[in-house]
Amino acid sequence: MLTFKHGTIEIVVDEDGFMQEPEKWNEDVAKALATTEGVEELTPDHWKLVHYLRNYFLQFGVAPMIRKLCKETGFDLKKVYALFPSGPAKGACKVAGLAKPTGCV
Amino acid sequence: MSDVERRPPVTVKDLSREAEPLSPLDLDRLLPLPPPYDKVPPESLWKEMSDERKAQVDASLDGISALNLKRPADPAEEERLVEALKAGLGKLLSADDNWGFLQPLALTLDHCTHCQTCADACPIFEASGRAEIYRPTYRADVLRRLVARYGPGANLLKRALAGSLELNFTTLARLAELAHRCTLCRRCTQACPIGVDNGLITHELRKLFSQELGISAQEAHGSGSVLQLSVGSSTGMTPAILKDNVEFIDDEMSEKVGYAVKTPWDVEGADVLLMHNAGEILAWPENPGAFAVIMQAAGISWTLSSELLAYDAINYGLWYDDVQFSRVALKHAEVARKLKVKKIVIGECGHAHKALTVVADRLLGGDLAVPRESFAPFLASIVESGALKLDPSRNDFPVTLHDPCNLARALGIVEPPRRILRKIAPRFREMTPHGVENFCCGGGSGFAIMSGNNFESFRNLVSGRAKLKQVLDAFAGELGPEVPKYVCTPCSNCKGQFRDLFRAYGVWDTSRILYGGLVELIVNAMADVKPGFIEWEFH
Repeated sequence: MLTFKHGTIEIVVDEDGFMQEPEKWNEDVAKALATTEGVEELTPDHWKLVHYLRNYFLQFGVAPMIRKLCKETGFDLKKVYALFPSGPAKGACKVAGLAKPTGCV
Repeated sequence: MSDVERRPPVTVKDLSREAEPLSPLDLDRLLPLPPPYDKVPPESLWKEMSDERKAQVDASLDGISALNLKRPADPAEEERLVEALKAGLGKLLSADDNWGFLQPLALTLDHCTHCQTCADACPIFEASGRAEIYRPTYRADVLRRLVARYGPGANLLKRALAGSLELNFTTLARLAELAHRCTLCRRCTQACPIGVDNGLITHELRKLFSQELGISAQEAHGSGSVLQLSVGSSTGMTPAILKDNVEFIDDEMSEKVGYAVKTPWDVEGADVLLMHNAGEILAWPENPGAFAVIMQAAGISWTLSSELLAYDAINYGLWYDDVQFSRVALKHAEVARKLKVKKIVIGECGHAHKALTVVADRLLGGDLAVPRESFAPFLASIVESGALKLDPSRNDFPVTLHDPCNLARALGIVEPPRRILRKIAPRFREMTPHGVENFCCGGGSGFAIMSGNNFESFRNLVSGRAKLKQVLDAFAGELGPEVPKYVCTPCSNCKGQFRDLFRAYGVWDTSRILYGGLVELIVNAMADVKPGFIEWEFH
């Protein structure tokens, strides 16, 4: 386990930078995590994606299908990658405080 | 690369030597890639582990950590690990504990002549620039020395003949990591003129570490087979989430093909229980969707199961642990029997094929008692029966086929996907080599889902390198972005690896090569569905 520090934020992350205690997530944590993904500022589009992921995760305990995410947010994959260069799983999910996806995904 | 140019070789004895790391990747010696990919500097794909991380986990083999192994807190803990490994050697070589694999293991340990035919066949050894530690016989020789010294019937003569090797934590940690620098593709095994199975050595080492020392890759064990056995799927999907997702896929498919597509659930007495790798549903939903379109159009009596485990064909135990393996395989067969289906058809997942057919039969024999078939011959029969109206001109783009190791090499399924491609892909061309001699994608044996620390660097730079070169060579002369191209990759694990590899090298932007399954290509050629099933978008 590693400690990630950014400003006043201090959280425990795994070796890929995913939160280990997802319940400690808040918007300031998201902003801090975004810097590790090369995203300096979270725009309203970023937040739309992050909140969709966060809400789905809180409801179901896993990340949504990528296609579902695109449909529900109205963003195509290209847009998702433009927002989070590492992509929906490794980038957007990380910023939304989800655990690292498991299985063959 | 000739032996003369090789760096001073690391010997087996060096494995216990304190050096940090013992054999770092030599980025200047990696297998060259064709232009324009020769311009991608390997350094740009290499991620050095942070000092903080290095202080926490052992990366003393090659500067890479797949296992997050922590150094022992005190000498007593080191002693405990070393003793567990010694005891495990005895179990590996006992008929009671290792009935499934003892014979090929014992033959392999006893009969290798070190002719090195296997080394020339190993894509990791070659792609690394022939780094000694990745040589197939290096790993086997380490085990051979440990067995000679600590195994059953060890004596001075055996020790003297095998050569010495000190067993301490460093040796143990490096050996565990070394068992995760081989994708179990078993190209070495196929090449061996006398039937020695160096791929099995990797498997047996992983098994020893997992079953006797509790050391395994987190992705395969904790968030893999353990999760599958408790929740139902290594993806974490419960039956409720699964059904919700597949309903979404049905809606998407209906929209895409222009008529209603419906996936049947838990149909007792169906002819076919189709089992997908559940990762497909989350990451590549067009694959299970395309299966549904084909099954429906061909009028097959089929079903998916929403029983725990049965909706995820994966069995990660295949890579590292016979006990976990058996738990999952037995459950797969039990669900099929309970549903009274005539057979299981395994979807596009290579490891599921090897797990539920050859290895399950080897370890569990008659306990399974349910017919199992690969999607490839199953679909070839459908395509050749004329049940689908096909318009191959819809697939008027260059296509090549990646043979998943576990279909081609482990099961000999070479012709069936080609029988299909000949009917639907007019611009199909082979890779060189292909079929049973094909190179692994570089993601086999769990690698495709392992990216912790800097392991993805190893996949992108070394284990996937021979494959990447092969794909690029298959499209030589057409590597520009003007012509869209398709690598047919009928295996979820391989798709995951292709995705990461293509992204790392910018293959989509530079060359417009898309990877995807076989069923998507079939549906793309179906005359009765709306044109354009395949979406030319990288994902």
